[in-house]
Amino acid sequence: MFNNPYFDLIQTAVLTVGFIIFACFALGYLAKWVSKKRGAPSFKQQDVFAGYFFAAPWIVGFLIFVLIPLLFSLYWSFTDYRVTATTPANWVGLENYANLLTKDEGFRASIINTLYLTVIGLPLQMGAALFLAVLLNQKIPGERIFRMGFYLPVILGFNTAVLLVWRLMLNTGTGIINQIIRAATNAIPPLGYVVRAAIYVQEVVTAFFLGLSSGKFNLLNKVIETGFPAANRVPMWVESPLWTKMSVILLMIWGCGAMMLIFLAGLNNIPAELHEAAEVDGASRIKRFFKISLPLLTPYIFYNLVVGLINSLQIFEPIFVLYRDNQPLLSSTISMVYYLWQKSFSHFEIGYGSAISWVILVFILIVTLIQFRLQKRWVNYDLY
Amino acid sequence: MKNLWPILKRIFMYILLTGATLLMSFPLLWMISSSLKTLEETNSPGIIWIPKQVTWDAYINIFQNTNFLRSYFNSIFFVSFALAGTLISIAAVAYAFSRVDWPGRNLVFFLMLSTMMIPPQALIVPQYVFFNKLGWIGTFNPIIIPGYFAGGAAMIFLLKQSMEQIPKEMNEAAIMDGAGHIQIWWEIVLPLVKAPIATVATFLFVGFWNSLLMPLMYLQTVDLYTLPVYITTLYNINQTVQQWPTIMAAAVLTTVPLIIVFFFAQRFILDSVVLSGLKG
Repeated sequence: MFNNPYFDLIQTAVLTVGFIIFACFALGYLAKWVSKKRGAPSFKQQDVFAGYFFAAPWIVGFLIFVLIPLLFSLYWSFTDYRVTATTPANWVGLENYANLLTKDEGFRASIINTLYLTVIGLPLQMGAALFLAVLLNQKIPGERIFRMGFYLPVILGFNTAVLLVWRLMLNTGTGIINQIIRAATNAIPPLGYVVRAAIYVQEVVTAFFLGLSSGKFNLLNKVIETGFPAANRVPMWVESPLWTKMSVILLMIWGCGAMMLIFLAGLNNIPAELHEAAEVDGASRIKRFFKISLPLLTPYIFYNLVVGLINSLQIFEPIFVLYRDNQPLLSSTISMVYYLWQKSFSHFEIGYGSAISWVILVFILIVTLIQFRLQKRWVNYDLY
Repeated sequence: MKNLWPILKRIFMYILLTGATLLMSFPLLWMISSSLKTLEETNSPGIIWIPKQVTWDAYINIFQNTNFLRSYFNSIFFVSFALAGTLISIAAVAYAFSRVDWPGRNLVFFLMLSTMMIPPQALIVPQYVFFNKLGWIGTFNPIIIPGYFAGGAAMIFLLKQSMEQIPKEMNEAAIMDGAGHIQIWWEIVLPLVKAPIATVATFLFVGFWNSLLMPLMYLQTVDLYTLPVYITTLYNINQTVQQWPTIMAAAVLTTVPLIIVFFFAQRFILDSVVLSGLKG
């Protein structure tokens, strides 16, 4: 009976709820006592009690699951602590950080890959989101159904089941995406040149980034030497290190619905009079988009940029499902979080893993701070 | 000709929108179609949009797979317990931030917002050590219990925004009548924010149902696996032939709850995100 995992959980859950209720009352009465000592009137004391009583779950959770773990990991990041080790951890000072930032090629690759997803993937994703939002903003009947259709991928999103469908669709030989590309280029020959040009550009760019992460540009030279792709070439989505990151970007674009909703909200907030006045003055639709909609959308673009960047730093599921166990490919697409997971839980190097977490944390803080600094230059808050 | 132009434009818009919708839902349609094919058909070099002869073998296979059924049950178990605890605690904390005046509120609220900047992954290493010390590795505890402490700052924020919309006089009147805060919370405020709660519940459900990293780390044995973890084991990279129809049947069964929930909750989500999305 006591070895049953479900019963075990129910037991712990009941204990936890009891603990939380106890903490609520404890914190509430403590706060009330303090305010009484300070001589607050009794109706005020009641508010103090209620405030701390209701906020207690978060306050206690923050201490147990966020603040204390963060401090512990900061300490461990200066040690060589391992979960499996029997000897106590040794203080190694900045050695973990020094190794991580100068010697660790895997970590460098993960940073470059993240950079790739941000520099190439994020603009594509935001562009797709903006395009769909503009399409939906026409206020035509049935708009809701289309909106649902565009948002559905966000819900299905990174469920491993759906990622496996992508794995099936991205097969080089028999996958539906490449089959459609082949059928289309056979039917319309000029399209073949467009596809081949796209393949060429993509491979050169990716080879350049792979060169950045390994420090050797052999692959780039090879791609350029091979020259313009042959007529029957198709993308090798999940089979070549030149394409692995593009597959992840494809998934990012597919899940652009959340960004689309934000843009849609922004487009709704633009006063119709502005467009009407411009139309009277004879401005074309395209001119109005670039001169009115786009500048007024910049706060929303900024929001999507901040959130999108944090998300692209944290990509884990697609890489796990598509490339797990695939050693030669994995390093071409590994993300910072995946690398952290791999280091911490395959070798249980807690000290080193803690150092990685702190580098990621500081990295995100710096990038976000820079974005907030730069926003004054280009974000337009005239409407707000 | 002048009258024809707007109609043509409208038809063009509809074609464009329908095309985009088909493109976005294509993986879903392809998943269903592939689950009804034979193994040869899924690996066929020609395009088979809809199998000529629909076979249900994949579904029969997957329903005979006790590990799959077990993981399905595990997912439902995990999501219901995690959802219930998280939702109630979030609703309580949102009440504290929106309906009560207490010293330190702004400071605690600011702390809560700043936790949104901390990537959850920065915490996985120390949390793992912590749960290891508690002996919780290989149980459901680590993936459920943290939620009970109002996990999810963005969700608290969303609910707080809606609770603030209720007039302050409502609280004062209820207190005059002798009601306590717990009573006001449960009997007056919560019934007034049903729609935002449905939104938060949907987001939480989707998040829990899709979650991979935490279950992967903590549920070490196959009889505890939730669906997302179990499904990845169906696809084995070391095999040359993948059982695609069976994998796709499992995928269909995994996504069905998501689609049902989305269908019922879409009116809440699609509006509420538009209203409060930016302020996050």
